Amino acid sequence: MKQIALYGKGGIGKSTTSANISAALSDMGLDILQIGCDPKRDSTRMLMQGRLIPTVMDQVRERGDRSIALQDVVFTGYGGVRCVEAGGPEPGVGCAGRGIIATFQILERLGALKGDVIVYDVLGDVVCGGFAMPMREGYAQEIYLVTSGELMSLYAANNICKAIKRLSGRSRGICRLAGVIGNGKNLEAEEDLISLFADRIGSSLIQFVPRSPVVQRAELNKKTVIEYDPGSSQAAVYRQLAAKIMENTRLDIPEPMEMEDLESLAYEFITN
Amino acid sequence: MNSLRTEGCTLTGALSVTMAVTDGITIIHGPDGCVHHTTSLLHALQVNHDHSFFPAILSSSLTESEIIFGGEDALAATIRNAAVRNPGIICVLSSCVSAAIGDDVQAVCASSAVPDIIVIPTGGFLGGGFSDGVKQALLALSALGRKDQGPDGTVTLIGEKNLEYEADAHHREISRLLALLGARVSLRFVRNISSEDLGSIGSGSLNILRDSSLKSLGETFRHRFGTPCITSFPVGFHDTLRFLEQAGEGLGIDPRPAVNMERKNQERLIDSFHGLKGASVSFQPLPPSTHLLAEELAERFDFRTSPRGFPAVIPDPPPVGTSGLARLLHRWRRMRLV
Repeated sequence: MKQIALYGKGGIGKSTTSANISAALSDMGLDILQIGCDPKRDSTRMLMQGRLIPTVMDQVRERGDRSIALQDVVFTGYGGVRCVEAGGPEPGVGCAGRGIIATFQILERLGALKGDVIVYDVLGDVVCGGFAMPMREGYAQEIYLVTSGELMSLYAANNICKAIKRLSGRSRGICRLAGVIGNGKNLEAEEDLISLFADRIGSSLIQFVPRSPVVQRAELNKKTVIEYDPGSSQAAVYRQLAAKIMENTRLDIPEPMEMEDLESLAYEFITN
Repeated sequence: MNSLRTEGCTLTGALSVTMAVTDGITIIHGPDGCVHHTTSLLHALQVNHDHSFFPAILSSSLTESEIIFGGEDALAATIRNAAVRNPGIICVLSSCVSAAIGDDVQAVCASSAVPDIIVIPTGGFLGGGFSDGVKQALLALSALGRKDQGPDGTVTLIGEKNLEYEADAHHREISRLLALLGARVSLRFVRNISSEDLGSIGSGSLNILRDSSLKSLGETFRHRFGTPCITSFPVGFHDTLRFLEQAGEGLGIDPRPAVNMERKNQERLIDSFHGLKGASVSFQPLPPSTHLLAEELAERFDFRTSPRGFPAVIPDPPPVGTSGLARLLHRWRRMRLV
């Protein structure tokens, strides 16, 4: 079983990328589980034809964690992809990180963590120990950073490298950086910048996903690009990405950049 | 890392104060373990002191569910549960857990429609220790104080150590000394008093702090109620006489007759322990608070210090006033005879 986690800055396109990877992998005949690890619960929406599925934390809140059954929290979407949303507390109260930890414990107890590939789609940045859960305890071994060429996006990706480096040094730490996924924002020389960033942190650019209006159209139609327009070049890019992930064997312990070096790198591309 | 007696848990420190309000209920907003841990300690000490007083303490019983979704509803329910028992006051103490998840304890209490409710922030991980908890609780409860002047010659004791074995003996000694001046203790803030009594914190003519760690609190009360203060209970012969002078000055009473009477009392005491004079003594490792007292006793009794001398232990905190010294000297004489 392959377990991958996508991390990156909030709003960078992790959920879109994750859902399209899951859809593409399911088209390859694989059994896929996608877990959204974000209280805003919209990771799997496009796989579920726009439906916001009940979250694990919703169930815990309503009935307590002991009476939850598999069918209460796992829902089947496009191509048979099994979809789970961790959910979390209302904004401004409680501890969402602890909610992620509890979700993993419940899913483990229910025997939900199975299949050919598990895709973890994790909230913007590693904000506390709870959101590092997919990297810990032997869950996702392969971490993919999703970033654009914007400085703040690179900054968030670099921060996540720090967490990967720290966790990989532990005795039970098996997580490694598997690569960088560039999600284009139509910036000049963006792919080159992300590729250079990937090199500098000791990894590689797995795939650059160019910006395309078909993504917005697919989302307005509550579908992944793979489902909405399978013949589009964008769908081909996602399929290519999914294939590369399945073939990828390169796993690195990253070397995060110093903030000044990161700024210089970004500045170099802006001024050139 | 070692922990000093005055460090430890902020929550326990605050609880040692709030539990001494006889008609109050204390709510600990945290997991049941926080209540169990702190009350077990307090209970063990009470039993050790031959007391059988069980304070009213409730827990908001936070579990993982409340940690994830917030514990404010659980706190509100616990406040309602406490309110139906008609306590004189409800004290709400936060814990590490409720502070870490950011529960707005103040807002929950404010919206509870329960009139006499006091919030004391006691998340231990914020860096405070036991004595910080004591101070925060005393300060929070003083909010109920009224600025009305009581009769002359009345004294308020601030911050007695409720977990101390000799707390009541110390109170008796301070009362005895004040009686020499014609004054009296009118309020023990906070030891075995009712919630109504809390309002009298501003009524005394003089505040006496249990020890100098409460100095900032004394200043706050001086500023708020205009009450002068003595910064600690007296330790040693000389300090006891000085205490009488300070108390006389604070109360506007000529202390000289009281000082003369107490000086004679001390001389009689020293005479009655003449058998200790010139003894060979080995002072056991002394905490800093007892250094001056050891020096004074060595001088008064012409002690010779020697590693083979009888082991003279001075407790920490040290004995209060002349009566405290009498108890200490009795103990030493017994040990020497043995």
